[in-house]
Amino acid sequence: MEVNPIEPLVKLSNIEIGYNSDEPLVKIPNLEIFPGEIVAIAGPSGVGKTTLLRTIAGLVRPISGNLEVCGVINPIKQKKGILGYIPQRLGLVRHTSVLHNVMIGANAGHNKSIGSIIPSKVAKKNALEAIESMGLSEKIKEPVRKLSGGQQRRVATARTLSQKPSLIMADEFLSELDEETMSMVLSKVTEYIRGSGASLLVVEHDISRAKSMADRLLVIDDGRINPFIREVTAMEVKI
Amino acid sequence: MISKIFSSKVFEILIKIFPLVIFSFSLWIFLGMIDDWGRLSGSIDNLFIFIEESLWPPDWSVIEPQAYPVCTTYPLFDFTCSTAWIGLIETLKIAFVSTVFGMILSLPISLFAARNLNPWWLSYSSRFLLASFRSLPSIIWAIFFVILVGFGPLSGVLAMTVYTVGYLGKLQYEAIEGMNKTPLYSAQSMGLSKFETAFHVVIPESANDLISQAIFMFEYNFRHGTVIGIVGAGGIGYYINLYLKFLQYDKVIAYLILIFFVVLIIDLISIFARSLFTEGRDMKRPTWLGVLLPAGLLKK
Repeated sequence: MEVNPIEPLVKLSNIEIGYNSDEPLVKIPNLEIFPGEIVAIAGPSGVGKTTLLRTIAGLVRPISGNLEVCGVINPIKQKKGILGYIPQRLGLVRHTSVLHNVMIGANAGHNKSIGSIIPSKVAKKNALEAIESMGLSEKIKEPVRKLSGGQQRRVATARTLSQKPSLIMADEFLSELDEETMSMVLSKVTEYIRGSGASLLVVEHDISRAKSMADRLLVIDDGRINPFIREVTAMEVKI
Repeated sequence: MISKIFSSKVFEILIKIFPLVIFSFSLWIFLGMIDDWGRLSGSIDNLFIFIEESLWPPDWSVIEPQAYPVCTTYPLFDFTCSTAWIGLIETLKIAFVSTVFGMILSLPISLFAARNLNPWWLSYSSRFLLASFRSLPSIIWAIFFVILVGFGPLSGVLAMTVYTVGYLGKLQYEAIEGMNKTPLYSAQSMGLSKFETAFHVVIPESANDLISQAIFMFEYNFRHGTVIGIVGAGGIGYYINLYLKFLQYDKVIAYLILIFFVVLIIDLISIFARSLFTEGRDMKRPTWLGVLLPAGLLKK
């Protein structure tokens, strides 16, 4: 997808999200995410961060309001390969190899793979590059279930990077990683975002980590019946 | 209102005595079925007379080569010309082929039947189809196919395949519905088509269950394959039916003992093979000794 640097990739206006129309989890008056931006959403657990991400991913319908993601209004099904989503529980196919899992993303991103069954050379190349960038080349044939939690997180990140999406949404994707691996993964993802003009929307419960990686930090406030999202300035972040 | 009823003390007591109510109800139905208790009192005597006069000892001539056609194999292997061997091998062939064909046919239907992948109308119509295959037992399907294509293993294969589609299909869609939802969410957000999701995510993720179920189905089909021969659909059941007609129960018991041992062997292999495809495989793979010996003996 061609990215227009002026048009926002994600546009939310007067939106209410949640699972119960009587009790929306989060209200968002206005939120826009532009190409090349890294936006972090922080807040205590159970406040609705993951639900917000899932709503943008088209997995949960908004209760009310308008949502536009990569040019699609209120998406239920996204255009193939546009959106890369790393769920908190990763969503990997546990019984198959690292390569199989990363190829799912690579095939989605490169439509010339025939029905995603016979992969194109480009898709295979993208997958191998992503695996190498995550330092998993030696584990390429290993079933995912045999990998450690941190390695599995890297597989999920490689799957998304090989897809080359316009918008990456990641839910606590740096947890379970040691400091060195975390900075390596973050630098590779940031490199992709800066180089491709894509956006990264990341959910992070650790506010200081969220602020260190993001261009903008948004916090969902707790302690209200209907928490709302607000932008936090650098002064407010307690490190 | 409803939540108050569920949380009430009366409801709690009702839940506790529910198994007793069910048992009392079934006992009441059973007692209503019995018109003459005297019929039960003579049953043990009848069993001993039957065993003594007709059943025991088994007539092992069933594992000797048949008089015609003349057996031309090496004498050590002449048991392969016996009716027992021919019948058992034919039953195994029927069970194997119908399991493979049944699995190939049931998998696409079960993918349509899974509620987590499809709209309700598609899932329920596919379930209706599978239920219709399953509603008739394999022996009724065998009678149906004997009428259509005549006696022999072909009608056996067709009957068992149809039943396998219905039975295995149900197991498969339940396994698919029980799979972890997060890989499906990832696939959906990536924009993968239903076919791509099924091919790359659903089948690989539930492959262990699907394989394990197919192995169980083979074992099940062998056991049922011994019965369908009675209506002329091939296999060892044909010979059992033949000797039942001539009241040669000593030969019938010999066949039944052989079937018992083959089922036991298949069962053991099945347990072992299925254990290779279950979750705990990486932690502890069972040994042959573990499969063959009772757990208590193994611990010692």
